[in-house]
Amino acid sequence: MIRYALTRAALLVLGLLVASALIFFTLRVLPGDVAQLVAGLDAPPEQVAAVRERLGLDEPVWTQYLTWLGGIVTGDLGASQLTGTPVASELMQKAQVTVPLGVMSLVIAVLIALPFGVYSAIRRGRADGTALSVGAQAIAAVPVVWAGMMLVVVFAVWLGWLPAQGFPRAGWSNPGAAFRSLLLPALTIGVVEGAMLMRFVRSATLQAAGQDYVRTAAAKGLTRSQALLRHGLPGAGLSIITVLGLQVAGILVGAVVIEQLFSLPGIGRMLVTDVGNRELLKVQGELLVLTGFVLVVGFVVDLLHRVIDPRQREAA
Amino acid sequence: MLRRTTLAVAALLTAGALALSACTSGGGTPGPSVSASAAAPDTDASVTIRLTLGPSNLDVRETAGSALDQILIDNVYQGLVARTPDQQIVPALASEYDVSADGLTYTFTVREGVTFHDGQELTPADVVWSLQTAKDTPTYRDSKRLAGITSIAANGQDVVLTLAQPDSTLLWNLTGRAGLIFKTDDAIDRKTQANGTGPFVLDTWKQGDSITFVRNEDYWGEKAQVAEVVFAYVPDTQAALNGALTGEFDVVAGFDATLTNEIEANGDFEVVVGASTDKGTLAINSAKAPLSDIRVRQALRQAIDKEAIVEALAAGTTMYGPIPELDPGYEDLGEVAPFDPEAAKKLLEEAGVKDATLTLTIPSHYPTTVSQILVSNLREVGITLKVNQVEFPTWLQDVYTNKSYELSFVLHTEARDFENWANPDYYFNYDNPEVQRLYAESLTATDADAAADLLKQAARIVSEDHAADWLFNGASVVAVGTHISGVPSVNVNERLNLAELAKSSE
Repeated sequence: MIRYALTRAALLVLGLLVASALIFFTLRVLPGDVAQLVAGLDAPPEQVAAVRERLGLDEPVWTQYLTWLGGIVTGDLGASQLTGTPVASELMQKAQVTVPLGVMSLVIAVLIALPFGVYSAIRRGRADGTALSVGAQAIAAVPVVWAGMMLVVVFAVWLGWLPAQGFPRAGWSNPGAAFRSLLLPALTIGVVEGAMLMRFVRSATLQAAGQDYVRTAAAKGLTRSQALLRHGLPGAGLSIITVLGLQVAGILVGAVVIEQLFSLPGIGRMLVTDVGNRELLKVQGELLVLTGFVLVVGFVVDLLHRVIDPRQREAA
Repeated sequence: MLRRTTLAVAALLTAGALALSACTSGGGTPGPSVSASAAAPDTDASVTIRLTLGPSNLDVRETAGSALDQILIDNVYQGLVARTPDQQIVPALASEYDVSADGLTYTFTVREGVTFHDGQELTPADVVWSLQTAKDTPTYRDSKRLAGITSIAANGQDVVLTLAQPDSTLLWNLTGRAGLIFKTDDAIDRKTQANGTGPFVLDTWKQGDSITFVRNEDYWGEKAQVAEVVFAYVPDTQAALNGALTGEFDVVAGFDATLTNEIEANGDFEVVVGASTDKGTLAINSAKAPLSDIRVRQALRQAIDKEAIVEALAAGTTMYGPIPELDPGYEDLGEVAPFDPEAAKKLLEEAGVKDATLTLTIPSHYPTTVSQILVSNLREVGITLKVNQVEFPTWLQDVYTNKSYELSFVLHTEARDFENWANPDYYFNYDNPEVQRLYAESLTATDADAAADLLKQAARIVSEDHAADWLFNGASVVAVGTHISGVPSVNVNERLNLAELAKSSE
């Protein structure tokens, strides 16, 4: 187990290193740079060159990469070229929106997916089970933007229950308002992701239903539903955890779209703005943190698997 | 398997983020205020104003973008002189000023009793230092606009500028970035802080989200009538409309006029349309065949239905030359290239152009309305238009810097920017010595009317050369809550002067 964990951790570090190079060099392909934007629409070329030099953009790409990497090893992501604000503190500040948004979305998705997924598995072949499963397929296909707009029209514009956009300036020091402003965006992501997850829960449950130990339990006199819930679900839980880990990345991508739509000052919106400003130093820091987060989730899920699933432990 | 999936997802996340795009801002000037409501103003009020695109930093001396001019000039920073809503030049930090008859000496009397936001008093020495550093620092915005000044000196309470030759644009330039007055050797970090003399003090800036101003209680002039102004940066049009309908915004600037009925439906908002210097400019690269042929350029202009574009935007007016109605030197040049698809076809035939394909490079933050109309208009005369949507930084590099384009669309917002047509190095690729001569003459004219007349002549030549096409002269469209008064309505992209903003206390 220890040896497995160490090997897996080494792979994680390697993955991060590859990601850092990939992020850094693909970003350098983007045309235009921050100096051009700073200098603007009536700047003579020499002015652009002066700004470029001041921002350290005239250094060779490799030097820039190694400087950046060296900073990361010492835990320093650098500072914004436009504002001088450290990237790390900016990330922390924007995470106060994106992390709660992600957690709320995930909770909503699970709350939708688990009961409905299991129920539609149990009721397979019946009218209500089929209706649920078809409904989920339809909702999962809905573009997140459209779902968000519909929810705003209903809950904000018509009913006036929730704010249509924005995040309170006081942030979490006003927890009620902060929570309310994240509710609609979280619902938007949660419903769409939940529908996808539900279909997975359903098939995982059905798969578990076919396992020998569930059939044995049923043979011992439990009804099919009871056998499923008592013996099948724990088995299905494993693969559900795995998919949840993957959902995290989906939710992050969803957050980019949703934060634009709801004008939330989170990581996703910051990323869009920074790419548009060609603040590459910031963008690469943000992307590396996000990628790292996804890789770490994968790492944890893998370890959990080893711990939970007795079959995998014996195989090691 | 799982591990690989995780990696793949991480890569997808990266790729997805790379595919994203964002925007930068355009620009416009304060206008006549919207009618006030009768109720007494609530002097403790906070007003929330929706704007589209936030500044990338607050360094008004170095960072381009009208997002900065729009809110910081007049409200936070001031110059010796300022612009009025009807584009006149009036004293601001100067109590009065005088221009000598030969146009070589400008004398400004610096107002007394003015303090910076940090409490320090404004002195003529601050004025001299501000103008001198603006002139001497090439990376500062508009630095070159002060190049003609040979000396800047304080004389008691007066500051005297001496020029080598007359400059009819100097006063106007002093109402802009080049003329802003700062505290000598101020130690603040201008990228994130501000220390000016205006009626509002910068309170907080939440990057990419909002900027908050509070009233300057020690302001030298008429104090602001609201305690706080919040600028909420919301690029999405639909989100802006929803925010207005739910009462989250008091004012929506940069409003989409096509949604006027939706926002006025419940009677809480009124859409106010004012003139602007926004010029929807279709640049035509004359350096590239077949666009080097004037007949082809004229055909393009006559093939495009400007009335239809203005109608589709639901605001603005047509314009047929480089100078908009708000600027000196305007005349209606409609007869130069009226909409006439048949004439356009004939011209293309004469020029021997058949089934040509042209590419339009357009920044992706503009609505697709314009390009759709262009595509169908040009198809009518046998030209296939390919639309190449790019991020603004890409446009800056490909079109603006490298001039590698056939047709380009950008909204040029700056007032009085005719100089670009007199600059052969500008991305328009337009080099006409006669236009350059007329412009140079208008610069050195000592009489405003004479200067405007010279610009008028130059503008006509630019239009007759079909150096470009002007698809529309945009309007400033602002949706104002019925409880709000004192919101400027003219050229709001360039200046949003909130000195008279008030909220009634119902």
